[in-house]
Amino acid sequence: MASQAVFFGLFLVLFFGAHYTGEDYIGSTVQRFFHFDPLLALVTIVSARLVYAYFAFALVTVVATILFGRVFCGWVCPLGAVHQFSSFVFKKTKFLRPPREDKASLAPKYYILIVVLVTALFGLDLAGYLDPLSFLTRSFALAVLPSVAQAVSGLTGILYSLGAAGLARTLSQALQNWTINVTFIQGFSVGLLFLGAVALNARKERFWCRYLCPTGALLGLLSRWNLLKLRIDEEKCIKCGLCTQHCETQAHPYPNDRWKSGECVYCENCASICPTAAIGFRLSAKPEKLTNVSNVDLSRRKLILTTIGGIIAVPFFRLTPSRKRASLKLIRPPGALAEDKFLAKCVKCGQCMRACPTGGLQPVLAGAGPEGIYTPALVPKIGYCEYYCSLCTQVCPTGAIRKLTIEEKNKIKMGTAWVNKSRCIPYVLGKPCIVCEEHCPVSPKAIKLVDVETKLPDGTTSIQKAPVIDIELCTGCGICENKCPVMDDPAIFVTSVGETRSATNRLLLDIASETPADPYK
Amino acid sequence: MKGVAAAGLALRFGPSAFAGQAASIGPLPLLATVEGESPAAITREVIAALGGMGKFVGRGDRVVIKPNIGWDRTPEMAGCTNPEVVKTLVELVLEAGAKKAVVIDNTTNQAKRCYVRSGIQEAVKQAGGDMLFVDDYRVKKMALKGEWLKEWEVLLDVIESDKIINVPIAKHHSLCRLTLGGKNWLGATGGARNQFHQSLDKTIVDLAAFFKPQLTVLDAYRILVRNGPQGGRVSDTELRKMIIAGADPVAVDAMGASLFGVEPGELPYLGLCRERGLGEFDLKKARIEKRKI
Repeated sequence: MASQAVFFGLFLVLFFGAHYTGEDYIGSTVQRFFHFDPLLALVTIVSARLVYAYFAFALVTVVATILFGRVFCGWVCPLGAVHQFSSFVFKKTKFLRPPREDKASLAPKYYILIVVLVTALFGLDLAGYLDPLSFLTRSFALAVLPSVAQAVSGLTGILYSLGAAGLARTLSQALQNWTINVTFIQGFSVGLLFLGAVALNARKERFWCRYLCPTGALLGLLSRWNLLKLRIDEEKCIKCGLCTQHCETQAHPYPNDRWKSGECVYCENCASICPTAAIGFRLSAKPEKLTNVSNVDLSRRKLILTTIGGIIAVPFFRLTPSRKRASLKLIRPPGALAEDKFLAKCVKCGQCMRACPTGGLQPVLAGAGPEGIYTPALVPKIGYCEYYCSLCTQVCPTGAIRKLTIEEKNKIKMGTAWVNKSRCIPYVLGKPCIVCEEHCPVSPKAIKLVDVETKLPDGTTSIQKAPVIDIELCTGCGICENKCPVMDDPAIFVTSVGETRSATNRLLLDIASETPADPYK
Repeated sequence: MKGVAAAGLALRFGPSAFAGQAASIGPLPLLATVEGESPAAITREVIAALGGMGKFVGRGDRVVIKPNIGWDRTPEMAGCTNPEVVKTLVELVLEAGAKKAVVIDNTTNQAKRCYVRSGIQEAVKQAGGDMLFVDDYRVKKMALKGEWLKEWEVLLDVIESDKIINVPIAKHHSLCRLTLGGKNWLGATGGARNQFHQSLDKTIVDLAAFFKPQLTVLDAYRILVRNGPQGGRVSDTELRKMIIAGADPVAVDAMGASLFGVEPGELPYLGLCRERGLGEFDLKKARIEKRKI
């Protein structure tokens, strides 16, 4: 559908825009798509107990849904477009043959929604795992775009060897210009989940939208009173059942009184496939019967049970030490809120990881508890925090990473660097190095050099300049760890202690002061 | 691969033959320094003092200009070569009839940030030069035939050229004291460059012997006097408003060292370079043309 193509294109444009374009400040439009998502808005507001002005955009979707049903799902949602397109491909290639009438329960997505909403009451933000915009952005940022970039890079290698140097150079220069990160710790598993979600369309059309999507479920509940009704012209209808067979979301157009307005995404497949053109959508203010909205067996008993299940789930998520005591390697991006507030807001969309120019921001698997899976952390061995960059803080859709100017960002400490003297080249091998000091971006440098005597195996003594850390100046950016020539386990490394955002992850009483002393002023 | 080897070979012989010619031209100075307010004007003047770009670049040449774009720093931090200097050199090279003026550096910070924020990308674009990012497929391990470095990864885009112009900026460095023309060659290499520091002086000599620039233009318009090699504050820099240039890379670095009050003999790599016959650091022996505009 043209509208889906347009919005998918818009999604891609905004997604591509979330990187170092050559401007220090890239504006807030790149995450605008998220602000139209009522589920993310609701869950963030509930779990973080804060109302953000930009989530007012979600009201547009809410009003549109109340008036016209799940048009967002059928016309706007970019993940819905992916599912619809892949369903179409699976149908054309006969992987998918829709049954005459599908009787599978549509209830799972409502249960998922209930769990997400109930847990949000307790400050647990689970919306991001299955929210379509988070899921798609995360999949594209961590898996799809990186693998495409890898493939294009491989192609340039082939082009060079074929002698097409001009084309190869154009491609490779373009890749660098787009600053696409290609290394992600969980890129493979995130990609597998995305492929899995797409592959499910070979079982049922728009499987995700029918059974899994909590955002779709929320919009389904809102669409009960919508004015746009499917009407079958009984005189023309020949009762062939094609409309119901090919309905993408099991909304059951025929018979007309069984049509589920809460499931219909207005793809209008039914209208276009009807051999007698008996189906149309008309405006009508008459509300549907509640049983018809989704016609799923959401009995009161099951709803209560799911709610209780959600409540019970909360302490399970909290059976982790990560809230009690800071994690060693959990170096959050600059501007990240204190851990509990951060977890309540982060929707795991991966936008910050897309924007990071060095690829240092990586999805967390362990170390932040189960609710912290896919949240961002700096992994200096992969990439460091670029001193004059604050892009991750600019692209966060929910404010889990506070928006910062570059000057503000440079006053923030993400962690502290430590020297492992039993691995450091001057300390243990008695050879010159100073690579960490050279790269330290703060001025005056947080890494100072002192002369160190080292006893060598042959009994002689070597005197070399060796690094010591001034923890008051260190921002924890991790470039020292990234550039350390000791490859496997760098001899200088950053841990989260001393991070500005935490009142408890502290080292010394007197390092809380924000601005370091300046010997040159 | 054959093409690469041939180009490398041609380069190995080409520049040295040319350097011989340049030295034999009698009245021209070996070294020129120009002081003045405008980085562009003094760059133009210093090349004129050396006899014009035509002395170094031929018609149809593919010329590589190698500035220092190592850091994500704006020009007033003096972490990277002044963009006006690079721009002027691109203009001069193209005016001299070169087919292409390629500007490239293997940066330390993220490449695009360095290229953009140093101002060099925009400057080169305006002057009509080609700004290239380092391409992984264009980094090849090659025999350097050095005394310490036998082989290393180098940028093919640098060595597959007819002429190389080295355009470093004069900066403080805590291991080799100063980073001038010699250390700038690290940006023309790939691989695990951070291991060079274990024997930096010998590395610099081997790299300088391998790359053999036609011309070295040292940007001392704003020099970095502490917290090198990237600084971070304007107070780490000093305005000297000077460009030093010459065909002898050792003499240029020796002259650059004098700006910091460092005797050439105090920089071990300069001594090693002289022993290797790459140039002369005794400035009393050099014909120096000093101008002010």
